[in-house]
Amino acid sequence: MKINDPSPDMKKRSFLKNVLNGTIAGSLYLVYPMGAGSLETLEQIPGIGDGAYDIHAQEFTFIVDITRCIGCGSCCVADKREYNVPDGNYRTWVERYVKGFSDQIYVDCPNGGLDGYQTPRSDIKEEIRDTFFVPKLCNMCKEAPCVQVCPVGATFITPDGFVLVDEKRCVGCAYCIQACPYSVRFINPVTRVVEKCTWCYHRVRKGLLPACVEVCPTGARKFGSLKDETSEVYKILKGPGVLTVLRKEMGTWPALYYKGARREVV
Amino acid sequence: MRLVLVCISILVMVGLGFLFKRLLRPDSFGVYGSYRADAINEALEVPIRHGTNGSCFKCHPFEAKIHKAGLHKTISCEFCHGTYADHVEGDKKTGTLPVKTGDQITTLCLRCHNTEIKARSEEVIKTVAMPDHLRDQQVKLTHTCNQCHHVHAPLKYINRAKQITGLMEKG
Repeated sequence: MKINDPSPDMKKRSFLKNVLNGTIAGSLYLVYPMGAGSLETLEQIPGIGDGAYDIHAQEFTFIVDITRCIGCGSCCVADKREYNVPDGNYRTWVERYVKGFSDQIYVDCPNGGLDGYQTPRSDIKEEIRDTFFVPKLCNMCKEAPCVQVCPVGATFITPDGFVLVDEKRCVGCAYCIQACPYSVRFINPVTRVVEKCTWCYHRVRKGLLPACVEVCPTGARKFGSLKDETSEVYKILKGPGVLTVLRKEMGTWPALYYKGARREVV
Repeated sequence: MRLVLVCISILVMVGLGFLFKRLLRPDSFGVYGSYRADAINEALEVPIRHGTNGSCFKCHPFEAKIHKAGLHKTISCEFCHGTYADHVEGDKKTGTLPVKTGDQITTLCLRCHNTEIKARSEEVIKTVAMPDHLRDQQVKLTHTCNQCHHVHAPLKYINRAKQITGLMEKG
């Protein structure tokens, strides 16, 4: 009977081979430039972040695809981490809409979706017809009510279309919080001034996607330049799909569009 | 005489007005509109805390290879592991990101893969009901997801096992 075991010699040879391979790989590892920290070189929005940025010749849009949102809350977690948002305040959040057969709508949003949605709602007696998640964030209105009401000119629309807050000028009067139809603003309990979603302006200007878009696993959040005809958002906006904005009747002209939003979404 | 007095006082008022405006108006106000243009530059100074998957893959080529080949390739490293800024600063490693273990992994998986949350269409994500899935697969109910599924490429081991047992054709 032949023993199938390799000879000790073979074992030694393969062992040496492995060791050598390991050493070579190891030494390559040392030579290989460990170029971390070069965030600047990573470009996600083409044409932006490579120096010249014409603030007057930009237009960005954000599209939330409700049909793809699975309510994992990655975006909420990323947002909280990116800005160290204090507990209880949310720059972006994900709402759960449950629709019963009586057309009754049940909306909940435990902890802004930060912990995800682990369990279904147990308090609904009737049969459920439809469930969907709606991520909410700043709508970046072109006719922003928050900008109109600010008494000190601390909130404004930049030439490239972002509604931002000047933290040094803000007096924390909270007029804008009342004016915002989408409730995206809050007073930061630490700085005592108004804070809101900025679509990660600091990232966008460096050519990076907003943090929530970056982490979204299903591509439910899309961001891009409308000046770039190859961008996904441009193609969606130009395409035949149905896009809606929230509270169109308010005349705020948001730059945030929703794809697949039911009429119940407000 | 009175007319001159009135004229002078108007001029003084106007002068004071301009002076106060000049003193009180912040620099760079009105460059783009009725706000401080410098506020835009200040908004850019917010530190970037999230990198991209590319920034993680630079130093973790082994994980990158598995992650990119798997069904989880669209998942951000930083969602499960923590932010880039907590790990690296400049070229230096500044902190160790916590590794999820045991039930933490299951909880994390079920954030997305729980069938009971009805809003998850099959086109977008494959979902499972727990613990039915464990029963169907005839494993202990105490199993965590990562005992069968590679967390970076969920079907890596499953497909390999199927190939070996001949349940799935190679390719």
